[in-house]
Amino acid sequence: MINKNFVDFSILLLLKDKKEYLFSFFIFTFIVFLASSILFISDSIKHDLFIALDKQHQIIVKNTKSGRYTPLSEEHIDSILQISGVDNVKGKVDGYYYFAQDRRYFHIVVDESLDEHSMIISSEIKSILAKFKYTTQFNFLTQDGITSLDIKKVIKSNIISNDVILVNEDIARKILNMDEDEYSYLDVLVPNNSEIDFISLKIVDLYPDIKVKTKNDLKSDYEYVFYYKGGIFMILYIVSMISFFILLKNQISSVFGEKKREIAIFRSIGFAIKDIIFLKFIQNSVVALCSYFLGVFLAYIFVFIFGAPLLKNIFLGHDASHIIFTPIVDVKTLFVMFIFTVIPFLASILLPAWKIAVEDMSEVIK
Amino acid sequence: MRSKILIRNLYKIYNEKKENEFFALKNINLNIKCGEIVIIKGISGSGKSTLLSLIGALSKPSSGDILVNEQNIAKLPDIFSSQYRNEEVGFIFQSFNLVDGLSVYDNVKAPLVLSNINQDELKKKINLALEVANIAHKSQQMVSNLSGGEKQRCAIARALVNSPSLILADEPTANLDKNNSLIFVDILKKFKQLNKTVVVATHDTIFDNLAFVDTYVNIEDGAII
Ligand SMILES: Nc1ncnc2c1ncn2[C@@H]1O[C@H](COP(=O)(O)OP(=O)(O)O)[C@@H](O)[C@H]1O
Ligand SMILES: [Mg+2]
Repeated sequence: MINKNFVDFSILLLLKDKKEYLFSFFIFTFIVFLASSILFISDSIKHDLFIALDKQHQIIVKNTKSGRYTPLSEEHIDSILQISGVDNVKGKVDGYYYFAQDRRYFHIVVDESLDEHSMIISSEIKSILAKFKYTTQFNFLTQDGITSLDIKKVIKSNIISNDVILVNEDIARKILNMDEDEYSYLDVLVPNNSEIDFISLKIVDLYPDIKVKTKNDLKSDYEYVFYYKGGIFMILYIVSMISFFILLKNQISSVFGEKKREIAIFRSIGFAIKDIIFLKFIQNSVVALCSYFLGVFLAYIFVFIFGAPLLKNIFLGHDASHIIFTPIVDVKTLFVMFIFTVIPFLASILLPAWKIAVEDMSEVIK
Repeated sequence: MRSKILIRNLYKIYNEKKENEFFALKNINLNIKCGEIVIIKGISGSGKSTLLSLIGALSKPSSGDILVNEQNIAKLPDIFSSQYRNEEVGFIFQSFNLVDGLSVYDNVKAPLVLSNINQDELKKKINLALEVANIAHKSQQMVSNLSGGEKQRCAIARALVNSPSLILADEPTANLDKNNSLIFVDILKKFKQLNKTVVVATHDTIFDNLAFVDTYVNIEDGAII
């Protein structure tokens, strides 16, 4: 049973020693803040990637020659349509335009709703074009001269849309220098999921040069990108760990010295070992909970409202300044983080508190 | 409740079976009746504090029994010896052992927070103890701002707050001036009237030849003489 007098008294002692707890409080808040920021950013990026992935059909077909991607033709579409189990095959035009002035590639994506004179660009691209005084339109250099398009709309930059320019299909062919019946890739619709692998094999059977990627392959590609970023995660985790050890050291030393005598005094007036541990548990739970929620709250504001300056560039490189993070909060991972931070935090104080409490109290008699 | 104490064949050996083994108490036998005031006298290092800490269950004897109201407190597990200290013993230490950073009131409250009594009763008990110890007028002061005599009266209030039947005082006048020492002697008399059993360890001659003291015990090199 929890005794209110005891809890009140524990909080009273906590407030009395607030200066000593402040250091732990700030370091712990910082760790939680850093870890939650990483979590929020990676969850948000994953979310956007997978949303984009969901819009795709189950099988993506690309053609290669000598290891390079080459366009596909109507003939490919027709023969893949023949395979039983395939519902539909769409030819897609998609590719990269090299913008030499800024030495950057723009990702050209088709949007059928646009006319021949306009395009939609991301806010990142908008800022790049603006550097070269293209504020209302842009001139693409193509095989047969210059193709000029008006900026119709600017969309938010996220991990997918950051380098995207949306144009009409004919314009896309022109910019990417593709013929009327050429496609960059084919999007194959297979209604029955269990047939996907089998149909993939059949397609490769038909054309040995063709590369087939299923949705699952793409998913693991994306995961792979995250492992590549793992090095950065490691550094951030090491920073967190170092802070954590500073924290633990501070926690432990807070029980020795002056506090050791205080514990002996409480023991002498009747606090049992379990009472001392419970006292420290209450105090440090209050500290841990407050800093945990403060850390998560600050991380949310930092990532989703301020767009995670500094950290964003670590994750996404220097072109990321316009990327916006979709607010995604995964309660499950927050909970796991809670377990992995709060429990060592509490243990770091309870073990030494216990050690002091079991010592004899002869100190008080001196 | 009143306390009687029976001590039999009590030994306390520090650093037992090591090179620096030291017999702090040797075969102590003592019988203290309910409501008695006992003064334990002896020079510094004779073993007075050690004896008090054993009676108060602050430490365990190496061998022998300490029966307080027929209960052998030498053999109690932590939960029960803590309960004994909390409910049956009031300590008054030489260095007062108050918790710095808390007010007089909160220091006196400390022993009560272990029991789940309601706020009214809590206040009543604290105020009564402050009254008896004559420190009620300073109840909201931080203990670090008190004089030596006031600190001791705060410690006395804390010792009394749970109405223990046994009071243990270790060198209670060592940090007091003459005037405050005499006040403490008066408080001892008050304890007598309240029918508390009291054990005082001291080398202060101010406690010599007091009419209301029931027993003087002399201790030398860990043995009663
Ligand atoms: N924890 C300890 N370890 C070793 N020796 C101790 C310890 N506590 C006390 N002593 C020794 O026991 C003897 C009695 O000490 P104490 O009971 O404090 O004497 P008094 O209170 O009469 O001055 C002293 O010689 C002291 O040095
Ligand atoms: Mg002593």
